[in-house]
Amino acid sequence: MKIATTDATPGATKRVDARAVTWARCPGGDSRIRGAARSSYRAPMASASALLRRHRAPVRATCRALVASAVVLAASPERAATAAPRTIDEYKHFRALSIDLVGRVPTRGEIEAFESKGFDRDAWIEQHLEGPAYADRLTRVYMDLLRLEVGNAIQVNPPATTLRRATLVGPDKKPVYVFYRRGQRRTREETDGDFCLTEAETGLKFTLNNQPPKGTAKPVPKAALDAHTVLVRPWWLYRDFLSLTPSRRYKAEWSDPPAGYAPIDKIVNEPDGAPTVEVRVCREEAQTRDTGTIYASGRAPPPPAPKPPAGSPPAPPPSYPFGRLRPLPVDDGYAKQHKGEPISCRSSLALTMSTDCGCGIGLQYCMPGDGDGDEPRAFSLPGHEPLDFESPLAAGAQTVSSWHKFWWREEAAHFLRRVFGEDRDAREVLTARYTMINGPLAQFYRATSPASCCGKERAFGMQEEKEPLFDPSAVPIALSPHDVDAWQVVSDRGPHASGLLTMPAFLEKFASRRARAAALYGAFLCKSFVAEDLSLTPSTEADLTKRPGCSTCHATLEPLAAYFSRVEETSWTYLPESVFPVREPRCKLNAQGKVPGFCETFYDPSFSDKSSGMLRGAYASAENAVAGPRGVAAAIVRSPEFATCAVERMTSSFLGRPLTGDDDNLVEALTTTFVEKGYRMRPLIGALARSAAYEKANNQRGGAR
Amino acid sequence: MRSLVRARSLVLGLVLGPVLGCDRPPEVVKPGAPSTLSPSHGVVLEDTTPKQDVRLLPAEAYMRSYLQLFGGLAPVDVQARARGADGAQLFDTWDDYLSALGFPDYRNDLPRGTQTNAIMVATFERLGVALCDRALEHDWKAKPAPPPLKERVVFAFDEPAAPADAKAFAPRFDVLHRTFLGYPAELAPPDRVKNFFELYQGVAKRHAAPGVKSRFSPDEAGWAAVCYGLVRHPEFQFY
Repeated sequence: MKIATTDATPGATKRVDARAVTWARCPGGDSRIRGAARSSYRAPMASASALLRRHRAPVRATCRALVASAVVLAASPERAATAAPRTIDEYKHFRALSIDLVGRVPTRGEIEAFESKGFDRDAWIEQHLEGPAYADRLTRVYMDLLRLEVGNAIQVNPPATTLRRATLVGPDKKPVYVFYRRGQRRTREETDGDFCLTEAETGLKFTLNNQPPKGTAKPVPKAALDAHTVLVRPWWLYRDFLSLTPSRRYKAEWSDPPAGYAPIDKIVNEPDGAPTVEVRVCREEAQTRDTGTIYASGRAPPPPAPKPPAGSPPAPPPSYPFGRLRPLPVDDGYAKQHKGEPISCRSSLALTMSTDCGCGIGLQYCMPGDGDGDEPRAFSLPGHEPLDFESPLAAGAQTVSSWHKFWWREEAAHFLRRVFGEDRDAREVLTARYTMINGPLAQFYRATSPASCCGKERAFGMQEEKEPLFDPSAVPIALSPHDVDAWQVVSDRGPHASGLLTMPAFLEKFASRRARAAALYGAFLCKSFVAEDLSLTPSTEADLTKRPGCSTCHATLEPLAAYFSRVEETSWTYLPESVFPVREPRCKLNAQGKVPGFCETFYDPSFSDKSSGMLRGAYASAENAVAGPRGVAAAIVRSPEFATCAVERMTSSFLGRPLTGDDDNLVEALTTTFVEKGYRMRPLIGALARSAAYEKANNQRGGAR
Repeated sequence: MRSLVRARSLVLGLVLGPVLGCDRPPEVVKPGAPSTLSPSHGVVLEDTTPKQDVRLLPAEAYMRSYLQLFGGLAPVDVQARARGADGAQLFDTWDDYLSALGFPDYRNDLPRGTQTNAIMVATFERLGVALCDRALEHDWKAKPAPPPLKERVVFAFDEPAAPADAKAFAPRFDVLHRTFLGYPAELAPPDRVKNFFELYQGVAKRHAAPGVKSRFSPDEAGWAAVCYGLVRHPEFQFY
C-alpha cells in the first residue's frame, strides 16, 4: 500500500531545506513553488490561469507557514526520526494554534512536524506571531468591531474631480466621446457652467442631473469640436502620462499593468470597440495649471419672473438663452470682490469660480466616468474580498464612488496590519500620525479629498482646506494612480492626524460627531450607552447632558462628541481654530434669537448668545473641541479601560466566546503583560496562546462519531 | 392513519373541552401542614468554572483551509476548478456562499456569524461535496495519469483493490482523518473507524446495485462518502 507521508501542498515535502528557503523568497513566489501550484491543479479556464499571477497570496501564505514549520523542525536534526506520543488535547491545541496563527487547519506535513520529537511549540508560536496570518487575525478583530467599509448611501464624486462623458455624433457621423465636468465655468457664454458644446452644435441639451441628454444628436461641426475640445493622453490609459509624449498605453506598450488596476472596457475603448489612444475633453477641463484666477463674468442676474395672477394656468417651464436647460451662471459676491485673484485649482471652488483650472497633466486630478449620470463607472473591482485584496473574488464594473470607498477600507486594513504585523504600540491605532497608502489613495488625497472643500466655509474666508487631516503635500510623489499594489508608509499625515480616527473610512462610516464618539467608546473602552428606565417627558432643554431621560447617556457622550467638533459631519474637512473659533462673535444671536444664515451650518443657535455663536458640537466641552481627534485619542489611550478592553477583545476572540467573571484572573494577568510590554500585541497573544484557558477552549463534547 | 385519528381526537378535545368543563368549580389548592424537608444527601460544590464550548472555525480560516485542500489555489481558481465544465453543478460561486459561511458584511453592517445555522450547515455540505468529488477526480481519475502520491492533497494514498476490507481501509482512513480533523484516527472515539468503514461499505454496495448511475465506481463513491463525512464533521468545522 502506498500512502503519502508528506503534504501535497506545493513545496511542502519533508525535503524542504529550511536553511535554503528563506522568508524573503516567499512573498515574490518561489518559482519552484509556483510551478508546483500550477501543475498540481491547473485551472481549466484561460481566465483563471491569467489570474493566477495576481492571486498568489494563498500560495504565499502557505509557503510562509510551511517554511516556518521547516525552520522549527530544522532546529532538531533528528526530526521525524521518531514520533513523540501526543495526546488528543495536544493535537487539538496545535490545530487551534494553526487556525488562529496560520489562518487555516494544519496540513498533514505540519502535523507530522508537530509529532516529531524535535518540535518546539514555543518556538513555533513565536515564529507564527510574526507571520501575515497573525496580523490578519488581529486586524479582523478591530475591523469586525468598526466595520470600516462605507455603504452605498455615501457618494464620493465631487464635480470638480469627476469627469463625465457625453456621447455625441462626430463630424464623420460616427459616435464620439467627450469628457467634461459638471458646472465648469467657461468664458464662452453659451456654454458657461454647462457642457462645452451647444445644442445648436450637438443637437443635445445637457441636463446636469441624473438624466440623459435631451434631443436628437446630430453631427458636430469639426470646427466647433476642434475649437472647444482637445485630445489628451489620460492617466488611466498611459503609464507615463506625466511625460511630454506619453507612449506606454494600457495593455499595449504598457503590457504589465498591476493586476488590480482594471479600467472597464468602456473606458479604454472607443464607441466602435477600437482601443482608445487619446480621449477628447472639453478644453477648460484639460488645463494643467495648479493655480487659477477667480473669474467673474460681469453678467447681470436675470430679472425675476413675473408672478402669475391667481387662478391662472401653470406657467410654462422657463426658457433660457442658447437653448440651455439651465440659466446662465451669475457671479457671486465673493467672485466679484476677488476677481482676478489667485485660486487653487485643487479646491472645489476652482470649478465654479475660475475658467482656467482643469484636471491637470494627463487629467491626473480627475476620475473618468463612462457616462453622464451621477454615478458613472470607471474601474473593475472585486465584489467581495473575503480574505484580502490579493485574493479577490470575481470583479465587475464599479462606480467612481465605489473605487474611492474600496481604497478607504484598504487603507484602514493596511494600517492595522502594519501596527500588528510590526508589533507596534497598539495605542497607535488611535494616535498614529502615519498611515499607509497606495496609488489610488495617493490620487484621492492629492485631488478628490481637497476638492470636497469648500462651500459654505467660504463665508468664513476658507476657500480651500487650511489644515487638512491629510496634508496633500505628504503624499509620496512616486505613487502613480495605477499603483494599486504598491503600499507606502506616509510617516506624517499632518498635525491633526490621529490613527484610524482621521481616516475617511472612519469619518464616513461614523458620519456624525456622536456616532464617532459612541463607536470609540464601545470599541476601545468596551463600554456602551444604556438608557435608564424612565418615561421621557416633554422638554425644551437643549443641553442633552441635562435633559431628563437623555442625560444618562449624553452626559458622557456629548463631551466625547465635542472632540469631533472640528471635523465636519459626513466629511473629513477640518475646521481650524483660526477660522472657526469655538466662540465666534459674528455668529451671535440677533434680536430674533437667530444666528446669521451663513453661520447656521457651523454654529449652533441653541448654545449661542448675544455676544457670540457656539461651534456646533462644542457646547459640552470647549476644551475637548480644541483638543480635536488627537485629544480624544489621547484621552482614550490614557484611560485605564483601554488596555483591559484591548485584552478582553483579543481574549474573547481567541477563546471564541464572551468573557465572564470567571475570566477575570486571566484578563488581569494578560493586561499586566500587555502593559508591561509597551502595549504590544505579540506578547499578549503569545501568553494567551499558551494559557490553559486557550488550550482547553476546545472542550469538545462527546458524541461526535 | 394513526395521525388522522390523533388529529380527530385533537379537534374533538378542542371543541368539547371548554363545553364539558365550563360548569366545573375552580380547583383550589389548600396549603398543606408544615413539614420538614427531607434531609440533604451531602453537599455538592457548585461548578463555577467557565462553561467553554467549541469555537466555530472563522469563515476566513474555513475558506483558507478549503483553498489549501484544493492545492493552494486562489479563490477564483478554486471556483473555476470546483465548477468544472462537466455540468455537475457542484459549486456555484464564492459570492453565493459568503454570508452563509458567516463572513461579515461591513458595507451593510452585517456582523460575523459565530454560530451555525441550517443554511451554514447546508453550505458546508455543498462545499464539502464539491471538494471531495473534485479531489477524487484529480487524485485518482486524472487523465492521462493521476498525479504522484506526494502531489495529492486529499486522497494521498493508492486506491485499494475494490472493495477494501477493514485492514486496507484503516490506514487510508487515517490519512483522510489527519487531513481534515488534524489528528490520528486511533485517538478518535472508539467506533469512528468502524462507523466510517460501514459508511464506505454501505455506499459502495448501493452504488454497485444494478441500474445505479454515478460518475464514480462503487469503491470511489465509498471513499468520496468517507471524505464527505469528514469534511462535514463537527470536528472540522469547530476548534
